[in-house]
Amino acid sequence: MSINFKQIEDKLKTEARKLLEEGKVSIVLAYGKGYDEKKPMPYVVRKTSDIENIVFNEYCTANMARYLVRYPRGTKIAIAVKPADSRAVVQLIQEEKVKREDLIVLGIPVYGMKNFKTGETIDSKTTCGIYNPVLYDILLGEEVHGQPVVSPYDVLVDYEKMDKDGRWTFWKKELDRCIRCYACRKACPMCYCDPCFIDQNKPKWGEKSPESQGNLMYHLTRFHHLAGRCIDCGECSRACPVDIPLYLFHKKVAKECEEMFGQAAGMKIEDKPALVNFRVEDSDKILE
Amino acid sequence: MEFEPKILGIACNWCTYTGADLAGTTRLQYPQNLRVVRVMCSSRINPSFIFRAFQLGADGVLVGGCHPGDCHYNTGNLYARRRLAVTRKILEFAGIEPGRFRVEWISASEGNKFAEVVREFTEQVKNLGPQTKFKIK
Repeated sequence: MSINFKQIEDKLKTEARKLLEEGKVSIVLAYGKGYDEKKPMPYVVRKTSDIENIVFNEYCTANMARYLVRYPRGTKIAIAVKPADSRAVVQLIQEEKVKREDLIVLGIPVYGMKNFKTGETIDSKTTCGIYNPVLYDILLGEEVHGQPVVSPYDVLVDYEKMDKDGRWTFWKKELDRCIRCYACRKACPMCYCDPCFIDQNKPKWGEKSPESQGNLMYHLTRFHHLAGRCIDCGECSRACPVDIPLYLFHKKVAKECEEMFGQAAGMKIEDKPALVNFRVEDSDKILE
Repeated sequence: MEFEPKILGIACNWCTYTGADLAGTTRLQYPQNLRVVRVMCSSRINPSFIFRAFQLGADGVLVGGCHPGDCHYNTGNLYARRRLAVTRKILEFAGIEPGRFRVEWISASEGNKFAEVVREFTEQVKNLGPQTKFKIK
């Protein structure tokens, strides 16, 4: 079975038209035409006349949950989500950034998306590797069944085998290239702090120029802030202009959190994010 | 000259800081490498404190809090435990020696334990040598 992108696009258009005409939502977050087929853009539909610009193809990788927190509370929003993005929506609901009743989630069961830069297929190496949205009101297309179930953490094996100095050399080399464009922060659905810790001057948390030590501070703190919240959409690494494999570190932290606290981010609405929660019976061993 | 590490201690007001006080009043000897900062609770500690300390030249960071279940604010150190465990994993995966960072639960009556932990930790950091990876040049 393969994904029929054209069919999903048509369904997306029909549903968007229906929701806007019935006045159930004032905004539909979907994908729109870009410069060319390979560069569709995040698109905000406000009028029915905008609907014809909606596209959906295998290059629509952006995580639209990024844009949910931009609108005032109470705005009725319909959002098109791919499987990983739906976890971001769940996580935002857990964190009470959006309300479930304000949202209409248009779930898109999909796999085999492509990275527009390299043309590579995006699979569980860079993303969480689930095929169906965990939360949706309207499903565009049919649920995907029969695809191989793979652990999103398999890709970490080689990096965990490296010794301490190997890991240090690897991350130093990668993070030194960072030009501090903050695209990772902009693309991330969970990075909504205003102001971001790195933009603060009082207190000043880190150096702001793109040099190795400051980069380390920015990225390590960012990994920490996303601990137990990163939903592994891999959008940070795709947004990165210098191709730093940020997803690796996020996956590692997510894996550790899952092992230590027994929950993955953004899977159930009723969960609390792992780091704003505790269990009395948590073991002290996690600190060793 | 022998390498003398700089160690930042972040101590909770109600247990570890009072414990350190007790170590002082009972005249226990412990290395002078430790600089203690007092916070009201171990959950007050922003992980950036630890990263920033390393950036500004600390060779080791020691965090002290109440024993789980004994927190003055009932649950503070239970949050801190999860948070600092993640900090540790992050330092480890980035390739920074996890031995430079330690969390200990020291209660107000454990002056002896405080002195013992500081001695042990200073020795450990001394063996690791100066911390250069994180430090701003």
